[in-house]
Amino acid sequence: MSETNSSTETGTQRVRKPRKPKKSQIPFALLLTALIIAFGFYLGQGSNKLPVYWIFGIAFGYILQRSRFCFTAAFRDPCITGSTSVTRAVLVAAAVSSVGFVAIKYASAMGGGDSNLNMAGVSPIGLPLMIGAVLFGIGMVIAGGCASGTLMRVGEGFLMQMLSLVFFIAGSVWGAHDMGFWGKLNTNAPKIFLPDVFGWFGAIVVQGLIIVLLYIAAVKWQQKKMGSIE
Amino acid sequence: MKEFFIKLGDHPIYKKLLKEPLTYVAGAVLLSVFQIAHFTVFQKGWGVTSTFAVWGTWVYNVLGGDAGSWAYYASEKMQQELHTSFLADGGSIRNLGIIFGALAATLFASQFKIKKIKTLRQVVAAILGGLLMGYGARLANGCNIGALFTAIASFSLSGWVFGAFLLVGAFIGSKLLAKYFM
Amino acid sequence: MAEFTLDCLGEACPVPLMKTEKKMSELSVGDVLVVSIDHSCAMKNVPEWARKQGHNVEIEEVDDGEWEIVIEKAK
Repeated sequence: MSETNSSTETGTQRVRKPRKPKKSQIPFALLLTALIIAFGFYLGQGSNKLPVYWIFGIAFGYILQRSRFCFTAAFRDPCITGSTSVTRAVLVAAAVSSVGFVAIKYASAMGGGDSNLNMAGVSPIGLPLMIGAVLFGIGMVIAGGCASGTLMRVGEGFLMQMLSLVFFIAGSVWGAHDMGFWGKLNTNAPKIFLPDVFGWFGAIVVQGLIIVLLYIAAVKWQQKKMGSIE
Repeated sequence: MKEFFIKLGDHPIYKKLLKEPLTYVAGAVLLSVFQIAHFTVFQKGWGVTSTFAVWGTWVYNVLGGDAGSWAYYASEKMQQELHTSFLADGGSIRNLGIIFGALAATLFASQFKIKKIKTLRQVVAAILGGLLMGYGARLANGCNIGALFTAIASFSLSGWVFGAFLLVGAFIGSKLLAKYFM
Repeated sequence: MAEFTLDCLGEACPVPLMKTEKKMSELSVGDVLVVSIDHSCAMKNVPEWARKQGHNVEIEEVDDGEWEIVIEKAK
């Protein structure tokens, strides 16, 4: 390494393994797209709702794969390398979706009527939540993907995640079976909807503050661990 | 014909749109848009794992078990879930969609490849990780989607609590991975 | 300036990243590490990690769904 400028030309000095003849998978992609559309029409015969679920599933899978968005990495990478780029992306997702959800909930609450959406998606906070989260966290790091990530990787052709999915399902039945026991621990667990505590305006301030503070913490963490803030 | 597809796949616009990965933040925004749309349409957020429990229970019942009496299926809504079929269940269709959406994305990028399991270590990791996630998700009433993403968006304090304990789990998992699964 | 290879084919996240990190720490400045991977996420997070560390990185798609990541240790 006597020449300083040769360092940027790493690639040209290497003898490369010749690339195998190119194959294009686009024809299969087009065929699959046709099948996806056909299946949507098939589902539409019996129900108006099912094709919509189908579209959402396809969209979620497509976006997850295209962006390599990974909830597991958001929690794992800070522990392993100190990188928080995915963590910060998850915080962005939390912020954007919060705006939409709070608008919908607020509109439904102001609209009166019986079908108030305030408590939609609000879960009890009890011991099972905490134990479950820890178990889930260990599992997702070991198996290399959480629920959505596992499904996405099954689509990408990973046999390991197919195996993991089978046992994910088995574990879910086991968990459902034991809910008779765990459910008792949830009897006094509060379901806390932030606007019930802080009011609508206060809840938005609190939620926003949490997200911003965590974002700053994520930047600082990476800076400390990796010396880079990108 | 083959030449045409190879050329198409190498076109800069095609590459940008269908091959090169999007940024994480772009993924976050797109997921959020669809998450909000999902809540608008169905009055509930996106979830993944409760469907897994139902799938498993169908198998359990086929094998001769009887899950109908479990406390988990006590409510009328859950009983209904038990007696519906795969092709009539929205959650099942949505999960199937995730698999095929990812498959389509991979094929459009010409990056599909069956990735075989190479070591026993991976088998153990998949089994153990799968079981832990399945059991944990039932206790926590959801996964990173239902108990975290949807819960936080729903202004439920449980989402933040889940996230905090998930981080503890991820930390333990990382240590285990470095020690036993490397 | 020696060249090293690291075979991470078939490995799932985050194993390729952890192995790369470990291997890079053993190399001296100017050495080159070629990591073979077939995991679509590792193809994004391994180069990203290396760039954050200040190394020179190149990604090459050697086959459908298979990449070689060439990292030159810069510091």
